[in-house]
Amino acid sequence: MIERVIDAARERTDAADGLWHRVERTSVAFEAGRLKACGISEAAGINLRILKDGRVGIAGTTAVEPADLLDRAIASAALGEVVPLQFPPATPLPPIVTQSKAAADASLDQLIAIGAELVGRLAREGCQVNVSIEREAVETRLMNTAGAAAAYPATTVAVSVDLTRFAGDDVLLVYDGCSGTELPQPARLDALVASIERRFVAALRVVEPPVGSLPVLFTPSGLAALLLPLEQGLSGKAVLQGISPLGDKVGRRLFDERFSIVDDPLVAGRPSSRPVDDEGVPSRALPLVAGGEVRRFVYDLETAARAKTVSTGHGTRGTFSKPRIGYSNLIVGPPPSRGSSDSFGGGLLSGVKDGLLVDDLIGVGQGNVIGGAFSHPVALAYRIQDGAITGRVKDAAVAGNVYELLQRIGGFGSDGRWLGNRWSSSLLVEGVSVARR
Amino acid sequence: MKDRLISALQASRAEYTEIRIEHTWSAAVTFRGARLESATASEDRGGFVRALHHDCGWGIVAFTSLDRLPAMVARAGELSRAVRLDESIERAEVAPVTAEALADLDGDVRGVALAEKKRLLEGYNTEMLAVPGVVDTHASYHDEVTEYWYANSDGTLLHELRPDVTLSGTAIARRDGTIEKGLQSVGLRRGWNAVHDHAAGFREAARRAAALLDAPTVKGGTYPVILDNELAGVFIHEAFGHLSEADFVYENPQAREMMTLGRRFGRPVLNAGDDGAAAGLRGTLPFDDEGTPTQDTALIRDGILVGRLHSRETAAKLGERPTGNARAISYRHPPIVRMTNTYIANGQGSVDDLIRDVKLGVYACSAFGGQTLLENFSFTAAYGHMIRDGQVAELVKDVVLAGNLFQTLDRIERIAGDFKWNQMGGGCGKGGQFPLPVTEGAPHVRIEAALVGGDVPA
Repeated sequence: MIERVIDAARERTDAADGLWHRVERTSVAFEAGRLKACGISEAAGINLRILKDGRVGIAGTTAVEPADLLDRAIASAALGEVVPLQFPPATPLPPIVTQSKAAADASLDQLIAIGAELVGRLAREGCQVNVSIEREAVETRLMNTAGAAAAYPATTVAVSVDLTRFAGDDVLLVYDGCSGTELPQPARLDALVASIERRFVAALRVVEPPVGSLPVLFTPSGLAALLLPLEQGLSGKAVLQGISPLGDKVGRRLFDERFSIVDDPLVAGRPSSRPVDDEGVPSRALPLVAGGEVRRFVYDLETAARAKTVSTGHGTRGTFSKPRIGYSNLIVGPPPSRGSSDSFGGGLLSGVKDGLLVDDLIGVGQGNVIGGAFSHPVALAYRIQDGAITGRVKDAAVAGNVYELLQRIGGFGSDGRWLGNRWSSSLLVEGVSVARR
Repeated sequence: MKDRLISALQASRAEYTEIRIEHTWSAAVTFRGARLESATASEDRGGFVRALHHDCGWGIVAFTSLDRLPAMVARAGELSRAVRLDESIERAEVAPVTAEALADLDGDVRGVALAEKKRLLEGYNTEMLAVPGVVDTHASYHDEVTEYWYANSDGTLLHELRPDVTLSGTAIARRDGTIEKGLQSVGLRRGWNAVHDHAAGFREAARRAAALLDAPTVKGGTYPVILDNELAGVFIHEAFGHLSEADFVYENPQAREMMTLGRRFGRPVLNAGDDGAAAGLRGTLPFDDEGTPTQDTALIRDGILVGRLHSRETAAKLGERPTGNARAISYRHPPIVRMTNTYIANGQGSVDDLIRDVKLGVYACSAFGGQTLLENFSFTAAYGHMIRDGQVAELVKDVVLAGNLFQTLDRIERIAGDFKWNQMGGGCGKGGQFPLPVTEGAPHVRIEAALVGGDVPA
């Protein structure tokens, strides 16, 4: 299919590239402790980009016989901007295993069994347990008129669990999940159950929030509010548009010197790993922040062409829209060390006399994110007193500016883990505003 | 198509089967700064089958290869049988209906050249770029028409045309390290005739972004807060609407207790509802995605909880009537309980009446976003003004409202008589389904006391 589309484009355009995806997703959903639904979704689609008279055009379709796809791409190019796009030539790709045969072949019953086990282990009087298991098998083929071609299969198995308790008007929600290219191993499920239970039990007692400028321990899930502005600011697109606060700061020490961010598409077992990006650029690990300094930004082909640099292999594309910049796996903090502990706060509690452990915030991503300032009420947070968790805190909000807070890192936990496509440990930050409402 | 649907249903061995087929033509244009990002026309088609055997769970199949419809119906039946239940899933009665609802497309967007759409958006984008201080913009135009078929084994057969058109603009102003933005968004269940004459809104968004460069951050604290129409609408949708979706409570006795009908949720001034049948709004459709007619559902009357939003399954479980709120964003997803056009009903008087007796307060306007996590919420206003001695005073930024739903609803003390629907683009997200076209509407609303985040004094 993709070959035919590119061949046809070769005759009528200056250059072209295309991506074909086929996704088969199997999902099982347990609601309130019982299996409620099983679903399968199959979708295939093709995304075509062409250059004609130097102008870029895009078209996409899910139709089986995309008769007018090329016509639509050419019509799109007639309106398109001139971009000096260079499609990458054929290049050897790095070896990375993205598929697990066992995951691809797992039966519906196997997936149901994983869910049933989790439901059984997490059931509690007066609580509702929801579990969902999703297995995705994806085939990707991409090709361009400069000679690059790649095809690879991938699998993802994602497990998510939430436990909800209502007591009067108090709602306690604890959730977690794990994902990988393989079926989850027993140890992984044990860790998931332990993570839910630990946070649930510690939350049963509600205590008064502390107030003031305090040490706050952000868990890997609580850390999202601090990392989102950096993810936006490290995008070559934001730099090109002149809206990244990091744009003119390459080589400057902005953060604690232990702080680092690496984008690594070649981590074994991770769903976001891939031998090549969606524009045919071979994958490689890329340090973005090292030693507290911004090292570089990420680019796709078009943004790179406009910024007069080269793509860093961060083009990602869906069926219908043009390729855009996307990260693969982000590894935050000092790189993973062996023997990660799984304790609450990753061993950092002991240094805190009075403060907060933040596991989840409300409203992350709203507002003027890229500027770095944030203010969020807590969704799930605990008070730390004399080095120990004393209970759950409600009705509190944390605020600060990411660019200031990341200069004041009090420590990195030993509880590093994957959460979606991000690896990080807990981070202790000094002097965070904590208000009560 | 009608015959294909009927014969596929007849071949199904499940107790209940439903099929949706959708064919969507869409066009999208995006500008970033002065540059065109892309102008594309797309076509998406696919189908959805859901089947239910007795004493079994739902079997669900979504697919793009429409020629395999009979096989997909069989597959959904097999998946249903894989889910053994002790207690059957019941569906509340809905009278079968056959309807052709080929809405007036108000200027069929499929007949308008992509170049015209680009020209229109370029004009709006230029309005934003012309404002001093604006360094970057993001402008987008999106239209679509979906030809929609729905059939179920109860005998319902629907054929609809569903149009949707959205315009949005973000203006980004920057001075040194300070970066501010202004937002404009229009979303309508209409066509090409409705997308003209929006230049003033784009200009206003850009001016606001520039003005915010000089505005101080609001000083954090607890204030009387007046929400403008837009933010009050977002508030009722996010903070209350989601809790009124019956799938949130139907499997959970404790949650049901919290949301018991007859419970007091606010003062007698508060009336709220959800109206999927309101004329001419983005959340409006004649039927939901289970073939249930839409309606105006009262949720809060005189401060008392009186209703909730249902699918056929949740209505049966709770012994209530379906409300026409089972919706799916596309053939890729099953219908789940969703809002349509959610509102706070009109009160009395003007916004000035609400402001006049406030000594020190915040007038929070427009929304960058909002999120609710069960009983807690957070909303980011696009901008705000301090209220001083009964007058609207200086512009302030970073106005984030946070609170507990129950406390905050109970602190709504006055509601003005200046109701307005916010016809915005974007949409609502739930259960991985985003964006669902919805509308929110409200008059100005005064909350006695609410926490405003921002510059929190240490």
